[in-house]
Amino acid sequence: MNWPLIAIRNILRDGTRVISTLLIIATGLTALLLGSGFMLSTYDSLQEMGMRTEGHLIIIDDNPAPLRGGSHQQLTLDNWQAIQTSLWNDERVLRVLPRAHFEGLIVNSNNSAVFFASGVDPQEEFRVHGPFLRTTDVLDPWIDPSKNQDVVLGVQLARTLNAVTGDLLTLKIMGSDGEVNQIAVRLAGTYQNGTPEIDDHTLMVSLTTAARLLGTNNISQLSIYLNQSQNAPALQAELQKSLNNVSVQSWQQRSELYHKVKSLYDRIFGVMGLIILVVVFLAITNTVSLATYQRREEIATLSALGTRPVRIYTNFILEAFLIGITATILGMLFAYTASHAINLSELMMPPPPGKTEGYPIFIYISWPHYLLISLVLITVVIGASLLATYNTTKINIATALA
Amino acid sequence: MPARLSLNAISKHYGPESQQVTALNEVSLSLEEGEFLAIQGPSGSGKSTLLNICGLIDHPSSGDYHLNGIAVAQLNEQQRCTHRRQMIGFIFQRHQLIPAMTVYENIAYPLLLNNISAKNTRYEVEQILTTLDLMQRRKHLPRQLSGGERQRVGIARALIKRPQLVIADEPSASLDHQHTHTGLQLMRELNQAFGASFLIASHDPFVIDHCDRRISLLDGRMDDRA
Repeated sequence: MNWPLIAIRNILRDGTRVISTLLIIATGLTALLLGSGFMLSTYDSLQEMGMRTEGHLIIIDDNPAPLRGGSHQQLTLDNWQAIQTSLWNDERVLRVLPRAHFEGLIVNSNNSAVFFASGVDPQEEFRVHGPFLRTTDVLDPWIDPSKNQDVVLGVQLARTLNAVTGDLLTLKIMGSDGEVNQIAVRLAGTYQNGTPEIDDHTLMVSLTTAARLLGTNNISQLSIYLNQSQNAPALQAELQKSLNNVSVQSWQQRSELYHKVKSLYDRIFGVMGLIILVVVFLAITNTVSLATYQRREEIATLSALGTRPVRIYTNFILEAFLIGITATILGMLFAYTASHAINLSELMMPPPPGKTEGYPIFIYISWPHYLLISLVLITVVIGASLLATYNTTKINIATALA
Repeated sequence: MPARLSLNAISKHYGPESQQVTALNEVSLSLEEGEFLAIQGPSGSGKSTLLNICGLIDHPSSGDYHLNGIAVAQLNEQQRCTHRRQMIGFIFQRHQLIPAMTVYENIAYPLLLNNISAKNTRYEVEQILTTLDLMQRRKHLPRQLSGGERQRVGIARALIKRPQLVIADEPSASLDHQHTHTGLQLMRELNQAFGASFLIASHDPFVIDHCDRRISLLDGRMDDRA
């Protein structure tokens, strides 16, 4: 007996209802796949941003001396050049960037503003940030070490100061003994990443300029960029073991934003997924319940002929499974097509909380996710049909045949 | 040797006690091995209820029922299902063919349930298809058949597994005289070859005349005037 063929004939008997059920499941799957594709692309984007901003691994002072006040209290890593040199010999390492964080006051003839600064390697810094830090009108000398007394401002900070490229500005900081140090710098350009905290208040100078202003060669952190992200855990363990008095952290350990956004999206998409699965569950329960009710004479006949309840049960499960498989294939096709259409249309999302700029919607097509979500959906479909047919075999044969 | 089936004071009531409807009232009868028994009676006389109880698809409210010497009341649902599968063939008044199965599959189904090999199943089914003039229709679905053809398929399905007891509710309904005759002939062959017993509810005089014995029901009771 060809049970799948019989199941297909039974499914085709219920044409209109089956089509509507197929569409409900396929639409639900499409929504789940699009949602998860968007979620994956967002996570990937956040990971990329986190890695590019902080580096795959970050070395900081393990046990900084007690804070003495002043603008450069974060500058506690002193032996970083030796670490940097040794890391350059590791073939897994792409770049090792020192960063010195400090804060102070920036002044020009028009205005003044508080700043949070980073002393950086001007040749490498913007390369590692990639699309997450867009520059405007940055002059070539910025990357010329011989003319490194330049500053690059967050775009909004430049607007606050009403400063344009080429203007002279003064950076003032307070030393650890309360003295005020200052240095004149030239505005070499602006940058922007869409986060108000960064665009409004931050600036970058070369590490040499920072050292001259701060009076120390110490830095805040060494950011290590790797050829391949998957090498990070092993290198982190090796470095932590071989280096004394420093802490080697991964970007995940330092990226609060990534964890917050991921947690938020996990909850949003989790609830959305749950709602869709409940809708699918109810749709299948409804379809199978109606089918079993309409076919109670047939069920009674099968029982009268001596069919074991499990066989009758299995037939209905098989029908639900076939509906589920067909709907899954349809849903995958819909999602695949819609993902490509959305990606090509370059639709923009509105700015997320804490950002001033939207970003293009991109939907990942991940076949492992497609398969996983489809399996979950088929399991829900089978579960719903099990529930709907649970009482089927307890039918009163004589009443059903009357 | 015990009777094929024996009913002793079987009653069947429906509904709550205050509004109880009695479908069968202390009916007693016995059907021997190889016997053809016709049950007559007007609509609502309890024929179908009696057939359902004899076919193990309904439970009596009271009384004793023995099938091949086994007390049916002691059987659980699984055992009743097994007895139906192995011992009883049903011919329903409204055919009750499985809509998604072809003629061949409908007839072969009882053999599949009894684990008969595919080769033997094919042989048996083709034989009965030929006898009942259904060979050309073997790949058709029930909805593609006439009423008479459906009834013949129903008869074939009931007889194919050579049951010890055949329960038939108006087996000649929708059949012309020629096919009624063929169907009854087939039943008689089964009866003579394997000692199958037949319990047939019918209004058709031709069918009733074909039976060895007849009983009549009226308002759920045995009508002794028959």
